[in-house]
Amino acid sequence: HTPGMSTGCQSGCLTCSDYNGCLSCKPKFFIFLERNGMKQTGVCLTSCPSGYYGTRSPERNDCTKCRPECDSCFTGNFCTRCRAGFYLHQGKCLQSCPEGRAPNDAQRECVPECP
Amino acid sequence: AAPRALIKVTLVKHEPTGTPTLTLEGVFAGGSVGYAEGKLMQSHPLSLCNSSDDERLDSSVISIVKLESNMHRCLPLLEKAQLALERGAHAVIFDVTDDIGAEYELRDTDSLSRPVVLIRGSDAEDLMGLVNRNEEANVQIEIKFEPNKWQQYDV
Repeated sequence: HTPGMSTGCQSGCLTCSDYNGCLSCKPKFFIFLERNGMKQTGVCLTSCPSGYYGTRSPERNDCTKCRPECDSCFTGNFCTRCRAGFYLHQGKCLQSCPEGRAPNDAQRECVPECP
Repeated sequence: AAPRALIKVTLVKHEPTGTPTLTLEGVFAGGSVGYAEGKLMQSHPLSLCNSSDDERLDSSVISIVKLESNMHRCLPLLEKAQLALERGAHAVIFDVTDDIGAEYELRDTDSLSRPVVLIRGSDAEDLMGLVNRNEEANVQIEIKFEPNKWQQYDV
């Protein structure tokens, strides 16, 4: 605990402060920067929320936002669900589907065209 | 001495009266003297670590960052300030109360495109307290004109 810092850190937090929340997490946890009105504070999670993907590094495990056209993803380059108006094809979100595939608005995916 | 900044804070709920709720003081970093106005938004120090984090900020936002002691610094302070401005912040305020070296890091720079202000002590406490209570506020940053010291002597 560092002077000026919060005495009780949230679960998963290694260090924290009153104003910034978590500053670093325990091993295996991801730090997620949560926006709440004008505040942005750190929280430590075992997995990142939807719309974000986890990246691990020696210094820190971060939650990073998926690409703008992607609602949820495994990595920055592999989307699992697209935003409305986009269609998923091989992990990418496209505005139109390649030949032989048709856009399915319900699933937001490119699906095989009916023969 | 570095030029001083006046930080006029008006709570959004007090907006109709137009009179600032708080007037605080800080120091402009490097050559970043100037005027700025916008909505106050906190940025966590880790949000200014790499350019891939794309929390684009609305251009009418003034970012406030509370720097912490004993925290691994992912980027030099100058790059953090530039990153915040690149993301659209109209100005950046750093609370350097717990980061003694910060002021020296930014003293000699002249590559800041918009105002960057350093605050500490009770001024910082007042501003961060307002953020902590999530009280939406608009901020105006102006130059504090100091009366010319020689005018006080009848020469």
